[in-house]
Amino acid sequence: MKPIGFIIPVVLGIAWEVAVASGLAAGRLMPPPSYLLHSAAALAKSGELWTHVSATMTRIGLGFLFGAAAGTAMGVLTGASGFLRQLLDPSIQALRAIPSLAWVPLFILWLGIFETSKLALIAMGVFFPVYLGVLSAIQGVDRKLVEVGRVFGLTTMGIALRITGPAILPAWIAALRTGLGLGFMFVVAAELMGASEGLGYLLLDGQQMGRADSILVAMIVFALLGKACDSILVAIGVPLLRWQDTVRARL
Amino acid sequence: MTQLSISHVGKTYADGTEALRDIQVRANEGEIVAILGGSGCGKTTLLRLVAGLDTPTAGTIAVGGESIAGTHPAISAVFQEPRLLPWLKVGANIAFGGQQLDAIERQRRTDALIERIGLSGYAGRWPRDLSGGQAQRVAIARALIGHPGVLLLDEPFSALDPFTRASLHQLVLGLWAELKPTILMVTHDVDEAVTLADRIVVMKPRPGRVHEIMTVDLPRPRDKLSSAFEMMKRRVLRTIDRSLEQEQPPTARPIGPSGTSPWL
Repeated sequence: MKPIGFIIPVVLGIAWEVAVASGLAAGRLMPPPSYLLHSAAALAKSGELWTHVSATMTRIGLGFLFGAAAGTAMGVLTGASGFLRQLLDPSIQALRAIPSLAWVPLFILWLGIFETSKLALIAMGVFFPVYLGVLSAIQGVDRKLVEVGRVFGLTTMGIALRITGPAILPAWIAALRTGLGLGFMFVVAAELMGASEGLGYLLLDGQQMGRADSILVAMIVFALLGKACDSILVAIGVPLLRWQDTVRARL
Repeated sequence: MTQLSISHVGKTYADGTEALRDIQVRANEGEIVAILGGSGCGKTTLLRLVAGLDTPTAGTIAVGGESIAGTHPAISAVFQEPRLLPWLKVGANIAFGGQQLDAIERQRRTDALIERIGLSGYAGRWPRDLSGGQAQRVAIARALIGHPGVLLLDEPFSALDPFTRASLHQLVLGLWAELKPTILMVTHDVDEAVTLADRIVVMKPRPGRVHEIMTVDLPRPRDKLSSAFEMMKRRVLRTIDRSLEQEQPPTARPIGPSGTSPWL
C-alpha cells in the first residue's frame, strides 16, 4: 500500500478527534481515535486481544484451507470432465443460492455448537467462489494453447500440468482472494452464533456491554488482518504471475 | 526426411457440412508443398487433419509410409499466430518443442536456435516483450527444435508486414536447407507460394477439393524480379481464376480490368 492510501483514514481520524475534543460531537457511540488506541492498548496489555485474534485467525486459517482445497478439487474435476460437470454443477449452483446464514441452524444441529460447525460454515463460504473461479478458468483456457500442447506431444496429464495449470493460475489466485474475503465475513457469522472467544465474540460483547470502543477495535483489527492476509496471497502470487501482460505489469 | 501422403481424405462435420472431399496430395521427402486457395476452401482444415488436431471422416494420412491417427512425433507445426506459452520465457518456449529430447540436448539446440533466429540475448525474456515477427521466429524455432520429419505452416506470415514476412521467408528457407523437413504450408498469398514452394496445390471451395497441382521449377534462391518468377505467378493466378470460374454461374464471374485477372 502506497502512502497515498493512508490520506483518507488519517484525515477522517484527525477530523473526528478534533470534533470530539472541541465538543462539536459526542464520542460515546463513536469514540475518537485516541480513545480507541487506549482501548486497543488495554485489550492488548491484558492479553485479551491476542486470545480473540488467535481464535479468529485459527478458524479462518482452517476454514480457508478446507474450503479452498475442496473448491479447487471440485472445480478441477467438473472443469476437466463434462460428465462430472453435468452431474455435479447444477446441485452445487443450487446450494450456492442458499443464503449462508440459513445453514447456521443446520450446522449447529449436525455438528454441535463448538468449533466444527464454525469451521464448516467458513469453509462453505470459501468453497463457492473458489469452485466457481476454478471451473470458469478451466473452461476459459485458450483452445489454441491446448492444441500447442497436443502438437508437441503432451499427454492429457502433461496438458493439465503444463498448459491448463499455468493458464488458470491468475483466476485461481483471484478466486482465493475472493474466498478469503468471504472467509472473514463468515467467521463473524460463525462467532456470532455462539463463541466465548474471537473477534466476532468481541463485537457481540461490545454490543451487549454498550462498549462502542470494543466494537470499533474489533472492526479495525478485522480490517487490518483481512488486508494483511490478502496482501500475503497477493505477494505469493506475484512471482508466479510475473509473465502476465497486464496494465498493472506495465505501470 | 519423411514423406507425407494424404490419400482420398474427406472431412464432413456433424452438422452435415462437407469441408473437404477426396483430397490427394503427396509431399516427397524434403519437399515444400504449398496449399493455395481462398477463404473457405478448407486449407486450414486439411492442415489440422494432418497435425492430428482433427480426424478425417474419409481417407488416410501417412507419414513415412505409416498411417497416422492423431498427433505424431514426426509432425510439428507453426500456426497463424505464434501461440507462445505466455508463462514460459523465450528459451523455455523453444525448448517446449523438444519434449522427446534429453535435457542437455534440448538446451544445446535451444541455444543454437536462438542464435540462428537472430534473438541472441532474448532467452530470458517473456513472450509479451516480443514483436509479432520475433514471436513468430520463436514459434518457428520451437517447431524445429525436435528436427521434425514434417513441418506444417498454417499461414504463419499472414499477419506480418512485408519486410518481416520477407525476412521470415529467408529464415524458413535457410532452416529448411539445413534440416530438410518436408513442409506442407497453407497460404492465400500467391507470391509467398511461388517464393517458397516446390509444388503448389490450388484448391477450390465448397467443399474443398484439389483443383490442380503445379510444379514450381524455378531455381533457388528465387529472384522475385525475374520474368520467370512473374510468369509463374501469372500461371498460378490463371489457375485460381479457372478454379473459381468453374464454381460460379456466368453472371457472377470475377470482375477485373478487361482481359486481366482480378487477383492482380
